[in-house]
Amino acid sequence: MTKYIIRRLVEMALTLFIIATATFFLLEAVPGDPLTQRADRLPEQSRAALYERYGLDRPVMERYLTQMNNMLHGDFGESFVYAGQTVSGLLKDRLPVSARLGIQQMLLGVSVGLLLGILAATHARSPIDYAVVGLSVLLISVPHLVFGLLLQKVFAGTLKWFPTIGWPTGKDLWLGGWKYTVLPTLTGCFSYIATYARLLKTSMLDVINQDYVLTAESKGLSRGAIVRRHILRNSFIPVMTQLPMSVAMCITGSFFIESIFSIPGIGQYYVTAVQNQDLSIVLGETVLLALLYIVVLFITDVLYVVVDPRISMPGTSSR
Amino acid sequence: MQEKEKQLTPDQFETVGYTMEEANKIDRPTISYWQDAWRRLRKNPVAMAALVVLIVLVILVIVGPNLRGYDYVNMNVTEKNLGSSTKYWFGTDSLGRDLFSRVWVGARASILIALVATTLKLVVGTLYGSVMAHFGGWVDELLMRVIEVINSLPSLLVTILIMMVLGNNLFALFVALSITAWCNTARQTRGMIKQLKESEYVYAAEVLGASPLHIILKHYVPNMLSILLLDASTAIPAFIFTEAGLSFLGIGLTSPEISLGVLISQGQQTMDFYPSQLFYPCAVLCIIVMAFNLLGDGLRDALDPRLRK
Repeated sequence: MTKYIIRRLVEMALTLFIIATATFFLLEAVPGDPLTQRADRLPEQSRAALYERYGLDRPVMERYLTQMNNMLHGDFGESFVYAGQTVSGLLKDRLPVSARLGIQQMLLGVSVGLLLGILAATHARSPIDYAVVGLSVLLISVPHLVFGLLLQKVFAGTLKWFPTIGWPTGKDLWLGGWKYTVLPTLTGCFSYIATYARLLKTSMLDVINQDYVLTAESKGLSRGAIVRRHILRNSFIPVMTQLPMSVAMCITGSFFIESIFSIPGIGQYYVTAVQNQDLSIVLGETVLLALLYIVVLFITDVLYVVVDPRISMPGTSSR
Repeated sequence: MQEKEKQLTPDQFETVGYTMEEANKIDRPTISYWQDAWRRLRKNPVAMAALVVLIVLVILVIVGPNLRGYDYVNMNVTEKNLGSSTKYWFGTDSLGRDLFSRVWVGARASILIALVATTLKLVVGTLYGSVMAHFGGWVDELLMRVIEVINSLPSLLVTILIMMVLGNNLFALFVALSITAWCNTARQTRGMIKQLKESEYVYAAEVLGASPLHIILKHYVPNMLSILLLDASTAIPAFIFTEAGLSFLGIGLTSPEISLGVLISQGQQTMDFYPSQLFYPCAVLCIIVMAFNLLGDGLRDALDPRLRK
């Protein structure tokens, strides 16, 4: 186990290095440099000073080494467009916003999805089952971009039950301003509902046909007890392994939602930085998001082994 | 006499009523894998409905923009922001352009982008996967590492990054959409070919002296086709959705170009007053994605006998 973890950690570091390098040189290839707009109207001297301030007067390789060195020390760079804004500083403000949105989405989506899955599996081939299947097809097929806009139009625009855009800040950051969070959370949770309802239903139907369920029935256990003690427990492995993947998807999945509802989260920040061609911010945030993603994937792989001892330690990672 | 009656002779076992030739004849016509799949698909009402909807959509996407004969590019200030009417079926947008025509032009762009990106994904993925499976050893190992690096990045991030580097144009969109998507195809191809290489019938074909080309065409390709078809049927709706999302964020195609994402993004700006401008592009997007998804589900059931109950 220790050997496997060390091996994975080395691989992760290598991957991260490759990603940082590739991103740096990709962004070097963007035509023009990010200071052009700001420096255009400045006199020659100030322009030179500006370029020097951001280190853009030095050769590419030197800047690459400086950048990598800085990132190793946790300094992810300063915005080219907004003087004084740093990646680390902005993430401190924005990460909690995205985190709350993600947590709310997943809690609601996964719990409702699992409930629907149980309902569908215990009432297989009944109208309830067909309703759940139909609902999940609908929820998967309608892009959440469309759902978001639709909810915004109907509940914020026409009915005025909720505010159209915005997000709680300050001391309401975690527990207040619920009315702002309802629509974005709903928009995001639909795909989780569909995924988990399908997943748990399939998994439970597999388990229901097992011999030990028949044994439990013949012992005279009540239906509820069988479902709770025997079927559910054994059908949770696919759900357990899907969960961390959902967390990882959640990191980028909220890009559209944050954009629709003008939520000041990391996704919206990233999109804005891309539109402004704010290269240092893009580079810093790409590396940070990749780091987050890689760590989540790593946890998944370790969890696989811990949760289900039947899975042997993968020698060559199959991911 | 009695002895003789008990004696069994071959002519007592003569088949009566039909000849051997008739007995060995197979009454039902032999059908190929694809005919079988098509037969199963036809029995699936949901998939057939999706197929019909798709065919109608394709026809509309081709002829739709010319159906009403209005100019959908230049503005017409006297007739802007109209609702649905017999003249303008979907109404007009904020610059007075016929929304019906624009929606189909946009859908045409979205579907074309998805098709090209899917083709790219399949071609690159198959080639890459075949190279991995064919050479094996350290080449396989190295190429697999590349896939792992790409897969350890959130794909939307890569897509946005590529769009930024290459700019907002069609070519950039093709590259950005397919740059992460091919990994999955490559892995499936590699697995399939490795499995086929070991299989007895390929071995038998080799022993009998079949040329590599024959083996590829007769054994690899038919086995790959169903996997690739399924791959495409899930990739197309995903690409359509990603394209719409990117264009909505302003990172994909932008305004003078028309795609469903661009139309939705324009619709959002006026949705408080003229919801129809948001509604129609959204509805068409949903119908396209849903039809592809349902057809894909049906294809999976029809093409993969192992999954059949």
